[in-house]
Amino acid sequence: MAETEIMAQGGVEAIMSCKGGKNEAEENMAAWLLGIKTLRIQPYHLPPLGPHDVKVRIRALGICGSDVHHFKNMRCANFIVKKPMVIGHECAGIIEEVGSEVNYLAVGDRVALEPGISCRRCRLCKDGRYNLCPEMKFFGSPPTNGSLANKVVHPANLCFKLPDNVSLEEGAMCEPLSVGVHACRRANIGPETNVLIMGAGPIGLVILLVARAFGAPRIVIVDVDGVRLSTAKNLGADGIIRVSTNIQDVGEEIVQIQNAMGSGIDVSFDCVGYNKTMTTALNATRSGGKVCSIGLAQSEMTVPLTAAAAREVDVIGIFRYRHTWPLCIELLKTGKIDVKPLITHRFGFSEKEVEDAFETSALGGNAIKVMFNL
Amino acid sequence: MGKGGMSHGGAGEAKDGEEENMAVWLLGVNTLKIQPFKLPTLGPHDVRVRMKAVGICGSDVHYLKTMRCADFVVEEPMVIGHECGGIIEEVGGEVKSLVPGDRVALEPGISCWRCNLCKEGRYNLCPEMKFFATPPVHGSLANQVVHPADLCFKLPDNVSLEEGAMCEPLSVGVHACRRANIGAETNVLIVGAGPIGLVTMLAARAFGAPRIVIIDVDDHRLSVAKDLGADEIVKVSTNIQDVAEEVAQIHKAMGAGVDVTFDCAGFNKTMSTALTATRAGGKVCLVGMGHNEMTVPLTPAAAREVDVIGIFRYKNTWPLCLELLRSGKIDVKPLITHRFGFSQKEVEEAFETSAHGGNAIKVMFNL
Repeated sequence: MAETEIMAQGGVEAIMSCKGGKNEAEENMAAWLLGIKTLRIQPYHLPPLGPHDVKVRIRALGICGSDVHHFKNMRCANFIVKKPMVIGHECAGIIEEVGSEVNYLAVGDRVALEPGISCRRCRLCKDGRYNLCPEMKFFGSPPTNGSLANKVVHPANLCFKLPDNVSLEEGAMCEPLSVGVHACRRANIGPETNVLIMGAGPIGLVILLVARAFGAPRIVIVDVDGVRLSTAKNLGADGIIRVSTNIQDVGEEIVQIQNAMGSGIDVSFDCVGYNKTMTTALNATRSGGKVCSIGLAQSEMTVPLTAAAAREVDVIGIFRYRHTWPLCIELLKTGKIDVKPLITHRFGFSEKEVEDAFETSALGGNAIKVMFNL
Repeated sequence: MGKGGMSHGGAGEAKDGEEENMAVWLLGVNTLKIQPFKLPTLGPHDVRVRMKAVGICGSDVHYLKTMRCADFVVEEPMVIGHECGGIIEEVGGEVKSLVPGDRVALEPGISCWRCNLCKEGRYNLCPEMKFFATPPVHGSLANQVVHPADLCFKLPDNVSLEEGAMCEPLSVGVHACRRANIGAETNVLIVGAGPIGLVTMLAARAFGAPRIVIIDVDDHRLSVAKDLGADEIVKVSTNIQDVAEEVAQIHKAMGAGVDVTFDCAGFNKTMSTALTATRAGGKVCLVGMGHNEMTVPLTPAAAREVDVIGIFRYKNTWPLCLELLRSGKIDVKPLITHRFGFSQKEVEEAFETSAHGGNAIKVMFNL
């Protein structure tokens, strides 16, 4: 059942929407990151449509922690914003035009977009691990422009058709959901893996949803924030535990975690990435189990790695995702996963609303996923 | 067949004329003494083995120097030693696979066989593991031991008792190479050219690794590694500031991406080097146990999907080790650099030699 979509009119010039048929002389506008905490809606000139490309009118776009990080710092890890860049990458929209070689998408199709264009020629791409491609061009990772815009041009093979009962907002949610799917695959989640999740933010919550969909029998989630924990409980966590930011508390918290789980922890997901969360994960996981490192908060970490390695607790790294959209769409279509509760705030596409939206997302707290409707 | 310094100086005679079983007991820090070691009665599935070759491991040295190793603490006198080969003297009533006179290599650890980890085959992680010379379980530097028959593996005719004893450290290399999936397409970096780095190198080559680069701070160990078949050797420092430059040298020496790195030392610097040098999607195998807590660039590695694989001892490795030795695919004999006999004085010298490191790779007792 498709949601009612709010059509937002905004921007410096009136946006005329035309579904199906030729382009009108509409100027494409986008949200540009010009400097620290400086976003402006400005014209965004699209490249010409290649034979394998499609032009997509963006209708729903979510804000990610990395977008906020770029917004606040003009950088994220080793990615530095050196020139104005369009922000945003979690998106879905409607096909407006298809390139000459595109035969599986048509104008009017509702699609979710996978943000990253890999080179398809390097060894990693050819091995299927294209998420690690060194030439990756990813929406909103400098220097590649993002997709918080009226329209974008994108390879057709990275646009996935949405079933009738999956909304455009849910389509946009496929991106964070994909991180959860990729992590649960790499960690081999199934009917026999009891799962611990560190962090009940958007990523911890999608991991909760996906782990359950993959059959995890028991899921315990921990966080410092009571509100986030109650959201996690409502979303189906078997156990929630409030923890501190104090590393001295690790021993005691692990006892609580193990009591809540009632059995060994097979896989832990660190969705935060601090010394304390990684230490807890490494120590709480049973011998022979896995710790999945997803959160990227701290670069250098001081953790009891040897003690974990000496129990053959492996540390699995996660970077974005690969081959996840079809599964995400299927999980949403069948209702095995419901991401709608994660969308807590909605904004339209005007400069003021764009600023408000980023401030809301940056503030955290009650805000899980902040969504633009264009 | 290496029979250096053989001495029965340790075995005394008990009152009734039967041989009294003697063993090397760890009594306190730096205190080893040859004393009687009374054996348990032979169970139906056990064998009694006369020890002929026992190697010294870094963990044995650690116990000697500190009376502890990681979380294992020596609280009462304990027989030391666990890398061993010997000859069957007696078999229990239910033992069909071995007969007196058989030459065997011993796998040290007796797991419970009942817990989920054991039943799954990951018995090396059994919480009830009873392992030679891991307190409180007695080791095997003795005239004789009693051991389950299923943990004694018959040596092929062309494999010596010393090579049989070498199966234990070699097993660490084999287990690591299996967990890291070493094969014909994995370029390997080995950090540390001590005994474990060297057996890992030998195992990696036997598993088909096309290119192996090994690094260490010690020139002599590096030249041994080169003689044993390393494609390239790189001398590195103990200074963590040098990581970036050393990674550049490593990449140059490899000439290609590093698919798997084995950290056989286990320090902040070696792990940082390993995590930084390994290609995206590759693996770092942490074998060495230098420091419990480590400060390392874990996140950048995780963000390139470089996985960290843990290694603890081994499982189901003896048959493969013996086959690799039998066929000559691996030659461990060059690793045995020093030999000693079984007398109080020689035992003390042997441990001092092993503790000293340097030229000593594997110090072997011949009993």
